[in-house]
This record gives sequence, structure tokens and C-alpha cells, in this order.
Amino acid sequence: MAQYFDIDDILAEDELVPAVFKEAANGVGIFDSSDDTNRVEAGSKAELPFWLASELHLRQAVSINVPPCFNKKTREEIEADAAHVDLRKRCPYFYELGCKLAHLIDDRILSDKNIGPVLFVAFQTRYKDVLVKAHTSALSVTAKNLTLLTREETKLYETAQSSTAAFKKWKMGGPRFQKAYVLGRKRKPTE
Amino acid sequence: MCCKKTDYLRLEKEMYGRKASELVKELASSEPGQLAAFDNDLFAQVVEECNGHLVHLQSSLLRKIQEEGSDSQTTRNADHFGALIHHLSLVRNKRCLMAYVYNRAEVIRSLGWTVECVLPEEIGEKLSTSEKEYFKNHSATLQAYMAELDLDLAVVICLFLDGSLNCRIKKVNQGSLDDSTVIDVSTTEVQKVPRMQLRGWNVFRI
Repeated sequence: MAQYFDIDDILAEDELVPAVFKEAANGVGIFDSSDDTNRVEAGSKAELPFWLASELHLRQAVSINVPPCFNKKTREEIEADAAHVDLRKRCPYFYELGCKLAHLIDDRILSDKNIGPVLFVAFQTRYKDVLVKAHTSALSVTAKNLTLLTREETKLYETAQSSTAAFKKWKMGGPRFQKAYVLGRKRKPTE
Repeated sequence: MCCKKTDYLRLEKEMYGRKASELVKELASSEPGQLAAFDNDLFAQVVEECNGHLVHLQSSLLRKIQEEGSDSQTTRNADHFGALIHHLSLVRNKRCLMAYVYNRAEVIRSLGWTVECVLPEEIGEKLSTSEKEYFKNHSATLQAYMAELDLDLAVVICLFLDGSLNCRIKKVNQGSLDDSTVIDVSTTEVQKVPRMQLRGWNVFRI
């Protein structure tokens, strides 16, 4: 429930996921091609938003496939050089969506569809890279790498930068060393 | 956001829940702590979509299920899944609407600590009628609480957190004190300084 009002969580669930209907459904006009009967036949393929696909999947009404942003090409690029893959273009909620999907898809354990390890490798490599860049690059320079970052990574970058700025400010001035309150009350050694 | 592969059914432009997501996206695109104008139009459209789902659910699908005499708990036919999709869309729309109102209310509550009882016009016109009412009530509750304690918490917090009793007050906005005025504010005196006088001033430790 803690995430019920979370904006990013809501938007992450809006990402499209390929799904195949296992059951027919009446009275739903969600597709362009649907005629007046508004019926979806079993076996139709569609890209549904995650919030719909996941619930239908849990009730065995559709089967979910891995979205294109976790396809073989992306995996290979991540394995080659994770830091320079444009994840934002592929899916701005790459990690959030991936974590949610991993729970649903992992039970089928197919080695090329298991997205958990991909997420882990991508995050591990990029996390370090993002932090290094945020700590070293000048504040005014907005690196072009920023456009490659997902929402989560952008937040991390901004947080790291503000903490660097706060550290620099602290280093520059202000009374830094204050006597702790307890120190004054320390008993003097008796001779 | 249409499908790339040809064998996939194309989603309707007005796919269920899309307007509600737009509403949340509006919220996400505003700066943290800032309010954009309340989107009455889009909000009403989402509510309308919810009504549409309800009509579909109650008047056609559920009634059909009942007429057929099948048990809606156990039957898994096309009507059941149609009803399910409408139900899930309703739940999704509700979540988006709630998040929109909730996250805005959070900003409005924080305004209670920084703005005087009367909202400035540029903020006021961004709020909906019920939000204005909410701000008024919340602000009044805060004031009543502070009056009960006989303490202006909005000011005292920064002094106590600073851990210092001697403070320099620097002019930020228009005020009656001189720019260079340095006054000693002790914990007892803070309560004596009229609230209005300290508003709009930054308090720094010497």
C-alpha cells in the first residue's frame, strides 16, 4: 500500500507488454480493429499496459511475453558495454518494469527470457558509472550521457550531484568543528 | 504508443486508463513542491470514463451473466473476462485519480507552513474549489494548534534545530527591520516576537 500513491510506480505500470489472450472477452472496445460486437477472441495478440496484463495473467486470461526492451539485442548490448546503452529510449522505467515482470515470468525459467540477471548486471555496471560521473563532472556540464539514463538513474545522478555540492559547501566555510556537548563534561584524569 | 508488429492488435487511441495516466504524467512533469493548475477538464473526462465502465459492468455484462443463470464466481466465459477488464480499468482509474489528488494535497499541506492564512492569488487560481477549502481548513487547524501552544512553530523550528540562541536576522523580503539589524533572540524572546515580524526573514546563527 505504501506505493499506492507513488507517481513513478503508476507510470511504470503504464508501459506496454506483449500479451496473448487465452480467453475471449466480451464488451471491451480497446482495439482499433474491433467491430460493433467489441469482442476479443482467444488467441489474439496485443500489447497491453502492464497494469492490465499482469492482473489478467494472474487470472490465466492472457499469457505475457517479454517486452522488446529486454530482447536479445538489448541483452547483448548490456553485456558488451552497459554504461552506453540508451535505456531511456527503450523504457524509462527499465528497472521498475523489469522487477515487476521478473516475478511473473521467472516461473517459466527459460534462459533467454530470464530478465533478473540482465537487470542486475545493467544496474551494477551503470550505478558505478553514474555515481562517478555525478561526483566528478562540473555542475554546469550536463553530460550527454544523461539522456541515456532511466528515470531511476536520473534521480540517482541528481542526488549524487546535490550531495557533492553540499560537501563542497561544507568544505569551503562555516564553523565545521564544534565541540560535542558531552566532551565538555568529560571527567579529567585524576593524578 | 502503437504496436510495431503487424500481427498485434492495435490499441484504441482512447484505450482504457490512458487519460488517467495523462493526468498522472502532468503531475510528474511539474517541479517538486510546485503546483500546476488543477486540470478540471481531464479530471472530469476520467470520471466520465469510470462511469462508462460502471454502465458496461452493471447494465450489460453482469446482467447478462445473471440472466444466463450462471454463477459469476465460478464461470469463466467471455462475459466474465469482459467484466473483469472493465473492473480492472475502474481500479486503475481510481488509483490515478487518488494519486493526483493525494500528491497535490501533500504540496498544499506544506504550503500551510510557509504561506500566511490567505493564499496569494497566483497560487489560489491553480487550486480547485475543494483544494482551496482544504487549505483553509488545514491552515486554520495549524493556527489553532500553534495558538494553543502559544508558540509559532514555523519560526521556532529553525531556531531550535540550529541549536543556537544568538541569531542574526537577515532581510529577505520587504520588512520593517533594517538589513543590518542584528538582534538577540533567546528562546523566551522568540515567543514575544510577533509572528508577522519574523515572516519573510531568514534567521542565521552568528
